[in-house]
Order: sequence, then structure tokens, then C-alpha cells
Amino acid sequence: MNNKIEIITSIGIIIAVIVTTLFFINNMGTITIDKILLILIPILLISAAAFLIWDRLKNVRKGLPAADERLKGIGYKASYYGFIAAIWSAVGAPLFYGIVLDYELTGHESSAVVVLISGLTFILSYLILARRG
Amino acid sequence: MKTRIKELRARYDLTQEDLARKVGVRRETILFLEKGKYNPSLKLAHDIAQVLQTTIDELFIFDD
Repeated sequence: MNNKIEIITSIGIIIAVIVTTLFFINNMGTITIDKILLILIPILLISAAAFLIWDRLKNVRKGLPAADERLKGIGYKASYYGFIAAIWSAVGAPLFYGIVLDYELTGHESSAVVVLISGLTFILSYLILARRG
Repeated sequence: MKTRIKELRARYDLTQEDLARKVGVRRETILFLEKGKYNPSLKLAHDIAQVLQTTIDELFIFDD
């Protein structure tokens, strides 16, 4: 039952993110490279999340659990890496932009960088750990 | 750490998926256990030993 609620909630979140991204694309106006990057990153995160849900659904259909003790351990480890990435990106992104690109990040931009970097770190480390064991 | 899961599984004619279903884990977990790439919890080790009608001592071989 918990598995089903988790899967249904995740599908709902994915649909909400896709709808938000579509609204963003619709109201974007002129398409520039930085805007394409802004769209590509959520698409990458959504694709990875959709893959994880598909993998869980596949197991549930076979009568196996969606997640077990090994996957929970991997989730904790990936969350830790995501947390570390969030801390370092919060410190490093303003410094990197300030020193290398001579551009001062606004609060919103810094938040976006932190969310994207920690999200990507979580997803990538989860997928790598799940495959390698 | 080495395991005798594969050998005992074959004795009882169980696939990885059958064993996974009986102990309530994903098939990949059994795969990684057989390869010695995953250290199971005591409960999982106990459940697998019970399904394969053996003891934890017999199931897992420690190198040292």
C-alpha cells in the first residue's frame, strides 16, 4: 500500500513539474542558450525520476517490493552526497560566478544552482550506486 | 565475503526472482548478494537461510 501511495505521489509530482516546464516554455519568448539549459536540466531530472518510478512499477507488477533494504541504503547514501553537494554549491557557485565569470548571482539564481546541483548529484549517485552495488 | 546462495538456490530449483519473492526483496539484491557485493542485514540473512533450509554460518563464507 505504501509503495502504491509513493508511486502515485511521484507520478503526480512529475506531471506537475512537466506542466510547469511547459508553461515556462510557452511564456519564455525568445529562446537563448541559457534558457535552453534551464529547460534541459529539469527535463534531465524528470527523465531520471520517471526511470526510477518505471523501475519500481516493474517490480511491483512482478510481485516484488518497489524498494528493499539495499535500495533504502542507497537512497540514504545518495541523499548524503546530495546534501554535501548542496553545501558546496551554496559556497562555491557565488565564488565561481564572481571570480571566473565576473557576475554576481542573485539570491534566486543561487537557490536554483543549489537545487539543480544537489538534485543532479542525488539522481546520478542513486543510479550509479543502484547499478554498481 | 562469499556466499553459497547460488549453489543452494540451484539445489532447490529456485530462480533469483523466486528467492527474492520469498524473502521480500528485489531480484537485484539477490544478484548482488550472490556476487558478494552486498552485506545483508541480519534479518535478510536469516530469512534467506530459512528459505534455503540452512544456517547463516553455512550460507556466508568469510575470508578471514
